[in-house]
Amino acid sequence: MSLKGKAAIIGIGEVPSGKFPERACIVSAVESAVMAVKEKKKKREDIDTIIPTGTVYNAQYNNEMVTGRIVEELGLSGVVKNNVSVFSGGSSSSTMLKVAAGLVNIGAAKYILCLHSEKLATGLSLQGGIDLFSTAGIAKEWEVPFGQHYSSVAALATQRYKYETGTTDEQLAAVCVSNRKWAELNPNAMFRKPLSIDEVMESKMLSTPLRSKMSNMLADGGSAFVVTSPERAAEHTDKPVYLLGSGSRATHFVYSQEPDLTRFAFADAAKDAFKEANLTPQDIDVMEIYDSYPVYQLIGFEESGFCKRGEGGQLFSEGKTWPGGKYPVTTNGGMLSQGHTGGGGGVALLVEAARQLMGKAGERQVKDASFAAYTSTGGTYFDSHVTILGTVVPD
Amino acid sequence: MAKVEKPIPETNTWTEPFWDATREGKLVIQKCVDCDQKIFYPRLICPSCFSQNIEWIEASGKGTVYTYTVVVNNAPSAFLDDMPYVVAVVRLDEGVQMLSNIVECDPASVHCDMPVKVAFKSINDEYTLPVFKPL
Ligand SMILES: [Zn+2]
Repeated sequence: MSLKGKAAIIGIGEVPSGKFPERACIVSAVESAVMAVKEKKKKREDIDTIIPTGTVYNAQYNNEMVTGRIVEELGLSGVVKNNVSVFSGGSSSSTMLKVAAGLVNIGAAKYILCLHSEKLATGLSLQGGIDLFSTAGIAKEWEVPFGQHYSSVAALATQRYKYETGTTDEQLAAVCVSNRKWAELNPNAMFRKPLSIDEVMESKMLSTPLRSKMSNMLADGGSAFVVTSPERAAEHTDKPVYLLGSGSRATHFVYSQEPDLTRFAFADAAKDAFKEANLTPQDIDVMEIYDSYPVYQLIGFEESGFCKRGEGGQLFSEGKTWPGGKYPVTTNGGMLSQGHTGGGGGVALLVEAARQLMGKAGERQVKDASFAAYTSTGGTYFDSHVTILGTVVPD
Repeated sequence: MAKVEKPIPETNTWTEPFWDATREGKLVIQKCVDCDQKIFYPRLICPSCFSQNIEWIEASGKGTVYTYTVVVNNAPSAFLDDMPYVVAVVRLDEGVQMLSNIVECDPASVHCDMPVKVAFKSINDEYTLPVFKPL
């Protein structure tokens, strides 16, 4: 059975990403939730299910969200029937949406608030961040003892991808530049100053061939979206954002067990998603491709079918992915420019896809955007998700 | 800053034969008795056929570098003194992949598909890591 057209996003909320030492994490959650809930015309009491996703900067805060803090903070005690956390790291956007769509489709929930909040920039020290991410999702028996951490993880894929496709360091840098072009137009982005390929190429080498400006920056942030059935959606908005197709594969836990670090399973995921939506990559107006590092954005873009393998670097270099270009890619600036809020990096991309389809993207609005694709992945790229959204449900 | 101890592998009861072997200077992997599948890292069941009939075999210790990186900045605390060091995914001739370090060579000389063979580096009296050097 398909969930095509069986669920819709009717409200979105987001607070700016960046360094906000004075902003408590719960503030990001509550403010995002209020924005997302206020977008619908009904009362907040309609929310009968809340799906918070995981927070990693602080185990105590995460436990609080697992055990209903947001229910109480929003004044929904005794109204919300289920507060149930759904977490798969960076792909939580996709898994939350899928779970929410399933619940509204079978009538187990009417309106579901999905939300994320994180404090990775100011809730941890820099070395604390490196140390956290040298263990989170990295196998403690088979990788941590060898000095594996997130930069080396990304560098391993980048090295092999360059070797197999001939993609250059300058083309990888061009992905960062493209994302920055979009972030310049995004008031919620952490980095909005123009960025050049030279600046990326001159930035500090971390793990060859990965440089510091090819790396995302940990950020504080929060975002939220409300999911309901298409029938209820019509009561609230003339522009519901329908779920049209989704595909995914979980391929490894230990990063070094991934059979193809230059592809992962985005091609299979995309095949399923496009088939379910009955659309092709040529139909897509805006592509919110999960980045975190430029190599993954190229892999996600190419494997989803938007261009041939190995040709992505050139499209990014030529500016075809910039505002006004033929391929609007990662239009919030991605984790490279909007900031990496843990699982929220993916939620921000999903919210951006919905924002573009709702026509609310301001200066960076892609004209007449009807169909969006977005990709996500969690942990050390343990899974590959492709999801298609649209303002109409094609046959 | 106080020196941070190297992380030791967080082992499991069924993986102990692997670490016992590396301490003796041997690299062992698993083999499924029912379907012949070579298995690394050590599992409870054969990922190919679901069998629990699994035995240990000594690996050739030879393989190639699938991919690698030279860590030069921002390493985890316990590895700051090791920089530059090489992290690599090695494909053993038996067909399994493992994460390791490439040692005993200029990091700049490491490349994809480079032939390597196993060597052993002890962390402490209890644990020895399988690492690789140019063949
Ligand atoms: Zn077997």
